[in-house]
Amino acid sequence: MPLLAQHGRYLNDSQHPSIGKPEAIAAGAKFFGGSCTGCHGPDGGGGARGPNLVHRSLWHPLSDEAIFQVIRKGVPGTDMPPTQLTDEQTWSLVAYIHALTGPASTNVIPGDAAAGRATYWGAKAGCSGCHAVLGQGGRLAPDLSNVGGSRPIAMIRESILEPAKDLFFLGNEAATVVLKNGQTLSGVARNRSNYSLQLVDTKGILHLISMTDVKELTLSASTPMPTDYGKRLSRVELRDLLAYLATLDSRPAAEKGGK
Amino acid sequence: MRHLLAFGLAFALGAVAQVRHDELAKGAGDDWLTYAGTYAGWRYSPLTQVTADNAKNLVPKWVYHVPGARGLQSSPIVYQGVMYVTSTNALTAIDARTGRRVWQYSDPRAQKAGVNRGAAIWGDRVYFTTSDNYLVALDRHSGVLIFNKKFADIAMGTTSTSAPLIARGKVIVGSSGGDSGMRGFIMALSADTGETLWKTYTIPAKGEKGAETWGNLIDYGGGAAWLSGTYDPQLNTLYWTTGNPWPDYNGDVRPGDNLYTCSLLALDLETGKMKWYFQFTPHDTHDWDAQSWPVLLDTEINGKPRKAVLHANRNGFFYALDRVTGEFLRATQLIDKVTWAKGIDAKGKPIQLPNIEPTPQGNWICPSVKGATNWMGQSYNPLTGLLYVLTLEQCGMYFRSSQEPQPMKNFSGGGATEEGGQVVLRALDPKTGKRAWEYPMTGTGRMWTGTVSTAGGVIFSGDDDGHFLALNAKNGKNLWHFNLGEMLTASPVIYSVDGKQYVAVASATAVFSFGLFEPAVGVDPPVIRLRK
Ligand code: HEC
Ligand code: HEC
Repeated sequence: MPLLAQHGRYLNDSQHPSIGKPEAIAAGAKFFGGSCTGCHGPDGGGGARGPNLVHRSLWHPLSDEAIFQVIRKGVPGTDMPPTQLTDEQTWSLVAYIHALTGPASTNVIPGDAAAGRATYWGAKAGCSGCHAVLGQGGRLAPDLSNVGGSRPIAMIRESILEPAKDLFFLGNEAATVVLKNGQTLSGVARNRSNYSLQLVDTKGILHLISMTDVKELTLSASTPMPTDYGKRLSRVELRDLLAYLATLDSRPAAEKGGK
Repeated sequence: MRHLLAFGLAFALGAVAQVRHDELAKGAGDDWLTYAGTYAGWRYSPLTQVTADNAKNLVPKWVYHVPGARGLQSSPIVYQGVMYVTSTNALTAIDARTGRRVWQYSDPRAQKAGVNRGAAIWGDRVYFTTSDNYLVALDRHSGVLIFNKKFADIAMGTTSTSAPLIARGKVIVGSSGGDSGMRGFIMALSADTGETLWKTYTIPAKGEKGAETWGNLIDYGGGAAWLSGTYDPQLNTLYWTTGNPWPDYNGDVRPGDNLYTCSLLALDLETGKMKWYFQFTPHDTHDWDAQSWPVLLDTEINGKPRKAVLHANRNGFFYALDRVTGEFLRATQLIDKVTWAKGIDAKGKPIQLPNIEPTPQGNWICPSVKGATNWMGQSYNPLTGLLYVLTLEQCGMYFRSSQEPQPMKNFSGGGATEEGGQVVLRALDPKTGKRAWEYPMTGTGRMWTGTVSTAGGVIFSGDDDGHFLALNAKNGKNLWHFNLGEMLTASPVIYSVDGKQYVAVASATAVFSFGLFEPAVGVDPPVIRLRK
């Protein structure tokens, strides 16, 4: 995921020892659950009274130092209150927020990943009909083999609950194309222009099509990702599903070199 | 159109085209399926649409700017109209007719960001390696990840740069990083699972045969295998070259020939066992890796028909060996100025001149550290019977440091400079080792482009100043050129889609594809309906 790598706070990481330290992150998670989720939502993804801390940090992120000051002093004139925490406690919160903007697989995600796996591959959610994990599953939607290794948990949650929110799905448009020779193909338009179309069909086969050979192209007006998972899945199912998705990492921890 | 029909048929049969041994062994045609186009390393295309007569009508068809790329070294592969091109820890699938991206896989978490020289294809999958030694297998249609498997530990000083070679379901990969003290190897991994099938070290272990050609530094001897090799399906043998011994410029600390560095290895595909080896530069102290393509050719040498392997070496000589036995057949001088050896003796050993070692003050030797040639691809054209090799007339200073060698710390026991120099594309006659003609270039010896040649009688390569060019394969006459605006550091490939022939090359930051001029046709915007 290029955004994180290019603009993420990896560029201006502070040298504070709490950052990346599992004990500090765990302590921060506790404070966050107690005092902050009410406004900023679970996993910092935004709530009724506070902004999304994860998206905010993808572009021109605050430095760890600035986050420290915001937590200590609050933002005067807004709902963001000052706190009375020690330096160490405050740094643990910074470490937690920092971790939330990193890949989900690097965080401790609550829930039963095994149950989530069953939900993912089961008929009720039907995720594998469109998405693939290590080659198993459909080819019509983004590969999820590394979703935990590339996305913050808040972004994964948003992708599932509010998939139509960002209105950006070029490269993932559901497409049906009728060719001048009478043939019809359905699938996903991985790329297209006024001149050519690169379509992966429902069987996962790539077709390179010249638009001069096309009679009619029908595209989905919205993202093909179902928009009703908030209703279709229970809270527990969703929690466990997220815990499972967080484990999907193309570089399993055991293989990674030391930090 | 042909394309769609092919897919339609495949559907009817319930199967989709798969790349298997026969396709790979057949060599280039409409598709370009291996780094060198053929297993024999010919970089030759039988396509004839572009000829020496009409090459003057070549025009750019598209450009694809590879995100974030600097100094691309990838030679693309092409299958059924889709081009697969690698960059640092990334592989992009491009519609080869239009230059439009189909998908991209990248791994920004790789622990090293080095160059990559290309992809390989087998079945329904394309493969490449990350700089930190993972073999990545991707579905060729959609780019979904099939597996990402680590085959070597970057902490041991080895990285990965070369395009894998796939032969009968085995993915052959090698180790880069020989200038920093590591133990080189060549591995076969399963194309199905990425599991290791065999691993052959290029440096013997202590106590093994060949270990007597080393001192105490044998564990870090180098001998990297940083370029993919070639393959003879009949002999079921891989031909792989090895790099310099370590530390590069200080030979005193590694007394002996330093086997099997600067060598050509013949390995059994099934087991990885060494059938024979031939060392071009024993006890090298000038960083003259043997990395350059071992070109396989059945031809007459010294009046006798031979299954030969040809090798233009960085040390300044052009070799012919018997590829069944490894017997040395002949060596001729590749460049005009060679000051370290008088020639090669009847056994294939260099006849060394005195005072050729690097010194603390610097010793001026030809060829330079970059070598008389390097890893840029060479092309053999069966119609002209000539081998087209990029050569470099350049000398340089070689320095020696007597500091304690430090493995895996980018310590090379000295250093070198390269100064001035001229690139000359040379057509060599494999039967005699002699030059048929040459094409001198303008520049300062900075290009790394190889050659490709066709049945249309054309050679494509790059000038030493950023021009892409076409030469007449018969006589080296310049036919056409196009300024890419940046240095070329990769070798071109030839392919055809929907009956149209293209030649593509990666420049430093982009992939360019050229074809014959056709008048443009205005296009009406497509009819698009939206479905709720
Ligand atoms: C009563 C609601 C509320 C609570 C409780 C709250 N915040 Fe905030 N927070 C806000 C609001 C509103 C803002 C946006 C302020 C602004 O407009 O700049 C904010 C801003 C922030 C920012 C700066 C975001 C940015 O990128 O500019 C951080 C960091 C932050 N809060 C962390 C926390 C932490 C940690 C806690 C728990 C200790 C917490 N907040 C508790 C409402 C709240
Ligand atoms: C009908 C096909 C379909 C189904 C079923 C489906 N998805 Fe999706 N999903 C998509 C498409 C298409 C996108 C890309 C959406 C976009 O770009 O707007 C997507 C996007 C996503 C993303 C964001 C991916 C990224 O790279 O950021 C996640 C995560 C995700 N889906 C998870 C799920 C999960 C979990 C399920 C099952 C609960 C599921 N999807 C079911 C089609 C589907």
